[in-house]
Amino acid sequence: MESMNDLSSEAGITDFQQSVRYHVKYSDGKVWEQASRGDLYNAVSLTTRERLIDRMHATEARYQKEDAKRLYYLSMEFLMGRSLGNNIYNLGIHDMVGNALKEMGVDLEEVRETEIDAALGNGGLGRLAACFLDSLATLGMPGYGYGINYEFGLFRQEIDNGYQRERPDHWYSEDTPWLIERPDEACTIPVYGRIEDSQDMAGNYNPMWMGWKILIGVPYDMPIVGYGGKTVNYLRLFSARSSDEFDMQIFNAGDYFKAVEQKMSSETISKVLYPSDSIEAGKELRLIQEYFLVACSIRDITRQYLRAHDTFDAFPDKVAIQLNDTHPALTVAELMRTLVDEYDLKWEEAWEITRATLGYTNHTLLPEALEKWPVGLVQHVLPRHLQIIHEINHRFLKQVYAAFPDDPDAVTRMSLIEEGETKQVRMAYLSIVGSHSVNGVAAIHSELVKTSLFSDFYRLWPEKFNNKTNGVTQRRWMLKSNPRLSELITETIGDSWITNLNELIELENYAEDKKFQKRFLEIKKANKERLAKIIFDTARVEVDTHSLFDVQIKRLHEYKRQLLNVMHIIYQYLNLVEDQKELTVPKTYIFAGKAAPGYFMAKLILKLINSVAELVNNDSRVKGQMKVAMIPDYRVSLAEKIIPAADLSEQISTAGMEASGTGNMKLAMNGAMTIGTLDGANIEILEEVGEENIYIFGLQVGQIQEMKDIGSYNPWDYYNNSPDIKRVMDCICSDMFCPNEPGLFRPVFDGIMNNGDFYFHLADFQSYVDAQERASLQYREPSVWAKKAILNVARTGKFSSDRTISEYAKEIWGIKRMI
Amino acid sequence: MRLEDRHEGNILVVSILDKRLDAQAADDFKDKMSQYIADGERLIVLNLSNTEFIDSSGLGAIVSVLKMLKEQGKLVICGAGNSIMRMFKLTRMNKVFNMFESEMEAVDAMRG
Repeated sequence: MESMNDLSSEAGITDFQQSVRYHVKYSDGKVWEQASRGDLYNAVSLTTRERLIDRMHATEARYQKEDAKRLYYLSMEFLMGRSLGNNIYNLGIHDMVGNALKEMGVDLEEVRETEIDAALGNGGLGRLAACFLDSLATLGMPGYGYGINYEFGLFRQEIDNGYQRERPDHWYSEDTPWLIERPDEACTIPVYGRIEDSQDMAGNYNPMWMGWKILIGVPYDMPIVGYGGKTVNYLRLFSARSSDEFDMQIFNAGDYFKAVEQKMSSETISKVLYPSDSIEAGKELRLIQEYFLVACSIRDITRQYLRAHDTFDAFPDKVAIQLNDTHPALTVAELMRTLVDEYDLKWEEAWEITRATLGYTNHTLLPEALEKWPVGLVQHVLPRHLQIIHEINHRFLKQVYAAFPDDPDAVTRMSLIEEGETKQVRMAYLSIVGSHSVNGVAAIHSELVKTSLFSDFYRLWPEKFNNKTNGVTQRRWMLKSNPRLSELITETIGDSWITNLNELIELENYAEDKKFQKRFLEIKKANKERLAKIIFDTARVEVDTHSLFDVQIKRLHEYKRQLLNVMHIIYQYLNLVEDQKELTVPKTYIFAGKAAPGYFMAKLILKLINSVAELVNNDSRVKGQMKVAMIPDYRVSLAEKIIPAADLSEQISTAGMEASGTGNMKLAMNGAMTIGTLDGANIEILEEVGEENIYIFGLQVGQIQEMKDIGSYNPWDYYNNSPDIKRVMDCICSDMFCPNEPGLFRPVFDGIMNNGDFYFHLADFQSYVDAQERASLQYREPSVWAKKAILNVARTGKFSSDRTISEYAKEIWGIKRMI
Repeated sequence: MRLEDRHEGNILVVSILDKRLDAQAADDFKDKMSQYIADGERLIVLNLSNTEFIDSSGLGAIVSVLKMLKEQGKLVICGAGNSIMRMFKLTRMNKVFNMFESEMEAVDAMRG
C-alpha cells in the first residue's frame, strides 16, 4: 500500500493520470478527446476510490487483529454532500490531483462541480451523522454508518414566481462511483404477517410469526476516509429489493404483471427519503423504511459479530449501537427478537445485552415532534415486534410501580403505550428504556431533556442521562470550503488544527495584528465575490460585496423564525423609503433553505421572502443600500460556498426550541459574527467566544416558559405599543408584497396577531432590531469587526465533531483509537 | 409436489423431493399430508433434507399438518438445512416441533 508521500510523488502522479485515462476508456467507454465532464468526474472518482480500497482493507485487518469494539451509528439520514473533494483533501492529494489533471488539460474544480450531492438527509440531523463519520475515521476509530440507499434524496428546490417547486433528486444511487455493491451480504427481512398462538414442547405459550412477506436488503458501501488517509471506514446503505424467490413463484404461476407489481412495491421502500424534518405521522411506508434499516443493520451486525465469536456473551463488549433520534428505535425490539427467537437466549439475558449495547440521542424538545406509531399499524406491519414491545412495557411498568409507589399516575405517564382513542407506541420511551445512555445535543438541551421532556425517566435512571454537544468537521467546513482561510491559518500557526481544532486558539495572538486582519478581510471579500456570482447566476440578484452579508441558511420552519428576519428587513425598508433614514451599513440579506412540501406556513414564508426581495431589489428609492436574495436548492455543496462568505450568521430561533444547531458552529468557524438567541449551542458559542464577540438578543427559555405558564403573552400588546411593529405587520397584511395575489400573506399576519404568535416574534422584535444595529455599527469599523471575527475563529475549537466523537467514544461507546 | 414415503414400523417417514416448499406447492403438500392422516397415519417424520427454500406459505402448511394431527399424533422434522432452520427460528416454529439432524435420530426419538 502506498504511503501518503508515494501518492503525491512523480510515480504517484503518473499512476493517477494513467488510471484516469484507463477509466475514461474502459469504465466510461469513451475516447479521451470525447470525454464529457461527467465522464471525467467518473474517471477521477474511480481513480481516487482505488486509492481508498487498500486502506479500507488494511483498516479492517487492523480491527480484526485486535478484535476491536465497533460502533454502528444507525440513522435514517446521512447528508453526505459531495465526496470527491472531501476524499482528495483527506487523502492529502488535492494539490497533486489538481496539477496532474491540469497537465492533462482538465480543470479539477470543474470536475468537482459536476458531482451531484448525496442528499440523503433533510438538515441538521443528517449532516451531523455525516460529520460524525468523518471524525470517527480521522480519529482512527472503528465506526460505521448504517442507513438507507434512497434512490431519490431530498427534493431539488426550484423557485417559480417566488414559490417553491419540488423536483425529484435523482442522484444515481446505484451508479455513483462512491458506492460499492455487496450482493453477497444481502439480508432477508420479513414484514407483515400475523401471530399464531401455539404451545412449545414444554407446554408454554409460544407465538409463531407466520404469513410474512420477504424483503431483501442489499448493502452498498461508501468508503469514509479520515484525514491523513490511515483509516478508511464505510457507510453501509441498504437498497430494498423484492425476494427473487417471491417473484419466481408468481412468474411461475403465470401472472407476470402481478409479479412486477409486487417487485415495484418492495423496491418502493428505499425509493425516496421522506422530505420532512419533523415526524411523518402514521405513514406505513415510513414505518417499513425504519424497520428495514433496523432489521438489515441487526442482521449485518450479528452476522459480523458471529464470524469471530461463538456466543453472545461478549456482544456488548464488541458492539455499540447508537440510535440517531427515535427513527431506529425498533432496534430495541428487533435485537430482542433476534436474540430470543433466533438464538434462543433467555429474555433476561437478551435484555441485559440489548441495554448494554444501545445508546439513544434525542434531537428535539418539542413534545409534538416525538415519534409515535399507532398500535394498530405496528400490529399490522410487525406483529411479533408489537408483542415484544408489550412484554418490555409490562416488565418496565412493574419497575416503575415499585420505584414510585406514591405516584400512581407514573405508570400511565411513562408507559410505552399511550392510551387514548388511538393507542400509540411512544418510540422515545422505547429508546430510553432499551438504552444505557440517553443524550441531548447541547448543554441547555440536555438539561431540559432531564428536567422537562423526560423528567420521569431522569428520576428513575439519572445515570443514563448525559450531554454530548454537537460538532462539525473542520475538514469539510474549513479546509475544503474555505481553502484561502485555511491556508492563512496554516501559514500562521501550522496545520495541526486540521486534526485538533483547539489549536485555533493560537490565532488570538493575531486578532489585533493589522497584517493578519488585512489578509483575513481580503479572504472574506474574495469569498463574497464568489458568492455574489452564484447569487447572480441562480437568483438573478446583483449584490454589493462591500455590504454586510447577513445570512440565514437552514430549513424553513416557524421555530427558526425566518419570519422575524423578514420583519426586520421590512422594518429597514420602511425606514429607508418612508422615513428617508439611511441604513447604518449597506446590507445584503441572503436566505437559503427548503420547506417540507406539506408545510403550508413555511412555504408561505418562503414566498414572502421572495416577494419582499422582488419589491426591495427593484425599488429605486433603496438606492442599492439593501438587497434580498433567496438562493434556490440549498444543499451541502451550496452551504460550502455561502458559509465562507458570511459576515453575520442568523441563529434566531425562539429560545428553547433549537436543540443545538450546527450551522451556527460552521459560520462562526469561518469568521461570521453570530446574531442569536440564547438557544441550543448558541449559549456555548457565547461562552467560548465571549459576550463582546456575539450579538445576543431576545427572551430566554425561562422567560418564555413563564409567559406561557401564566398566559401573559398577547401580541396585540406589542402591536399597539410599538409603531414600528404596527407598521411592519400592517404591511405584511396589506397587498404591498402581493399586488397580484391580494390577501396572500394574511395567514402570516393571522398567525402572529390572531393565533397567539406561538413563536414570540413580536416579543423579540425590538431587541432583535437593537442587536442588528449593534452589528451594523461595528461592521462600519473594519478593524473592530475583523478582530471580533478572528476571535470567533480562534475560539470555536470546542465545536469540532472530533471533540464530540471523542466524548461519545469514551463515555458511551467504549471504542478506542486504533492508530 | 413430489413426496416419497416409507414406513419404519408404525412411523411414516415422508421426504419432500422438491427443492421448494412455497406458495405454489403448499396446497398440494397439505392435501397429500391430509390424505396420509385420513389413512390413519399418526406418527410422521417429515424429512426436509432436499428442501432448499421454504416461505411463509410452506411453513404455514407444515403447521396446518400439525393441527390436523391434533392430540392424536406426532410430527417431527429432520434434515433441515441452515436456511430452513433460520426460517423455523424466525417463526418460532422450532419451539413447537422436535427437530433432528438425521432421519435415523428422528425415527429413534419417535420410537422412544
